[in-house]
Amino acid sequence: MDEALEKRLPKPEDLNPMTKESLAAAFAGESQAAEKYLVWSEQAEDEGYPNVAKLFRAISFAETRHARNHLRVMGGINATADNLAAAFGGESFEVDEMYPAYHEIAKLQGNNQAVRSINYALKSEVDHKGQYTDAREAVLAGNDIAETAVNVCLACGHTVVGDAPDKCPYCGAAKDQYRAF
Amino acid sequence: MAEPFKNTPPAPEDKGAMTASNIAAALAGESQASQKYLAFSAVAEAEGYKNVARLFQAVAYAESTHARNHLSVLGAIGTTTENLKAAWGGETFEIDEMYAAYDAVAKLQENKSAQTTIRYAMQAEKDHQTLYNEVLAGVEDGKDCADVAVRVCPICGHTVLGDAPDECPVCGTAGSYFKEF
Repeated sequence: MDEALEKRLPKPEDLNPMTKESLAAAFAGESQAAEKYLVWSEQAEDEGYPNVAKLFRAISFAETRHARNHLRVMGGINATADNLAAAFGGESFEVDEMYPAYHEIAKLQGNNQAVRSINYALKSEVDHKGQYTDAREAVLAGNDIAETAVNVCLACGHTVVGDAPDKCPYCGAAKDQYRAF
Repeated sequence: MAEPFKNTPPAPEDKGAMTASNIAAALAGESQASQKYLAFSAVAEAEGYKNVARLFQAVAYAESTHARNHLSVLGAIGTTTENLKAAWGGETFEIDEMYAAYDAVAKLQENKSAQTTIRYAMQAEKDHQTLYNEVLAGVEDGKDCADVAVRVCPICGHTVLGDAPDECPVCGTAGSYFKEF
């Protein structure tokens, strides 16, 4: 980001606990709004409202600006090596704690669709954990990672460095359902 | 930009209360992870790690697929009319309740950057509230909104239909930086 833009961003600040709690909640709200609007944009597209779809995408982007600003003020945006460590920590929590617990409860309550949604996420978070570990190793040595395509299953989020498989191992989606980054 | 989605996402279901609350928490977690990774991607790009930046983008997308699946299970993907009403309701809550309260706390505690990031968001949510309201009236009659560009300030999220202003009225960023949808 160029300097003219950067100087207008709210800066990291030593926050009082209640203000910090407020911003953390606002970050959660903005993040969820951004995701909802993207999904609702696809719905509008399907219903034949391309311009409503565009509006949802634009407002989703606006919410991502708010999320980034809140995160920045909370000191949550750092050097890449630190960001990779934070990303790994988040994935580890989801893999080791959050999703296994949610999975048990959803099974107990016989909520099969919830179990599916949890399984899709849990499996991909394991991919991410490994990928962030490898990336952090490279960055700590001052290197970028290899310029290999990263393919993501648009049904379940399965994430693979290199070619997409013929069939998603987690949800069975076909190869053409992967998005390449 | 709606992508082909041939697999059936996990479907809405009548859930146990604990499962519903867990899926809602997982939606919050995935949404925040996605936003963090997008912000981390920008840092990696600026530090010259373009492939790490790409990995963050890919994983952010994977988290978005999880957020969408959880939303589907929660039954929160409605018709566009319903989605616009929900979007309007969310913006209204943020303006009337959430940001108003957070702003009061940040002022009391004299956390300046927090006040800035709250003000940027609150101002943009007012744009969004109005836009959703205008569009809803048309969609209820089966009409798309006009095919006009939507422009968003990359710093504060100020959202306008049509041309960008010379300078953002909320944060002062030059209009040439606005992102067009």
